[in-house]
Amino acid sequence: MEQRTHSLRGIAWLWLGIAIAVLVVGFRQAIFLTPAEATMGDLYRIFYYHLPHAILGLIFPYVNLAASLAFLFWRRRDPLKALTADALAVAAAEVTVLYVGICLATGMLWGKPAWGIWWAWDARLTSELLLWLLYVSYLLLRRYSPSGQAGTLGAVLSVFAAIDVPIVYMSIQWWRTQHPAPVFGPNGGGIDRQFWPPVLWNIVGWLLWGVLIMLFRFALERRRQLAEQEAALQAIEASLEIPQ
Amino acid sequence: MTWSSFLNFSTMGHRHLVFVYFGVWIIQGGYLAWLAWSWNHTKTPRR
Repeated sequence: MEQRTHSLRGIAWLWLGIAIAVLVVGFRQAIFLTPAEATMGDLYRIFYYHLPHAILGLIFPYVNLAASLAFLFWRRRDPLKALTADALAVAAAEVTVLYVGICLATGMLWGKPAWGIWWAWDARLTSELLLWLLYVSYLLLRRYSPSGQAGTLGAVLSVFAAIDVPIVYMSIQWWRTQHPAPVFGPNGGGIDRQFWPPVLWNIVGWLLWGVLIMLFRFALERRRQLAEQEAALQAIEASLEIPQ
Repeated sequence: MTWSSFLNFSTMGHRHLVFVYFGVWIIQGGYLAWLAWSWNHTKTPRR
């Protein structure tokens, strides 16, 4: 067990090193090596951080959904497995809030100089804000719901929250929006070949980073759960002790 | 682009570019630091 923990720690440090190295290459590509875009100039470089967070902010909610469904499936059949799924669900929800929040913030910082406004209540921006609010409410619900009910209430909310993900993705195809048309996919406008390296390096880098922090948050939640179980067990043992 | 043109605060566009690049690293790094702090302040379960 000790050896397994030691090797997992080694893998985590290696993963962190690789993620930072890829992100440094992505930063160098984005700022120093790639030429400025013809219309927006250097402002376009915000895209290289905005896009990876936007894409990954639509993937982590599905990790939360899968873990929540697993929790609902196992909660009566195998409570220990359900607790593990619950820990993964909360980890994925926190990383979702982080990535979607950064996507919204970088979008606003891009929108003000590019469009002249911080915010537009169009379908893409509004559905993305709603996504962020749904996962913030998920975390608040878990935080303040009665003990023992947090996992179940959160899992049910997560099923509804995940419905917003395809709406966010399709919003720029279904409605006319201030937000630009899709870049990728069958109806995507695409990007020039010279802008691909910073896009790809940053997508891979922020993916490696996101998976790492999600797994770290998962491990932290498991540690909390086990500490709580241990405390509960000690309390039961203490209550059963007969004074001599 | 060079470091001097990157750290150029003369226009709103340049300022926001710097805010994005530093802000993202600070937020992500801050979250990782909070996780590490919480990890060190959560009781290790007995094996």
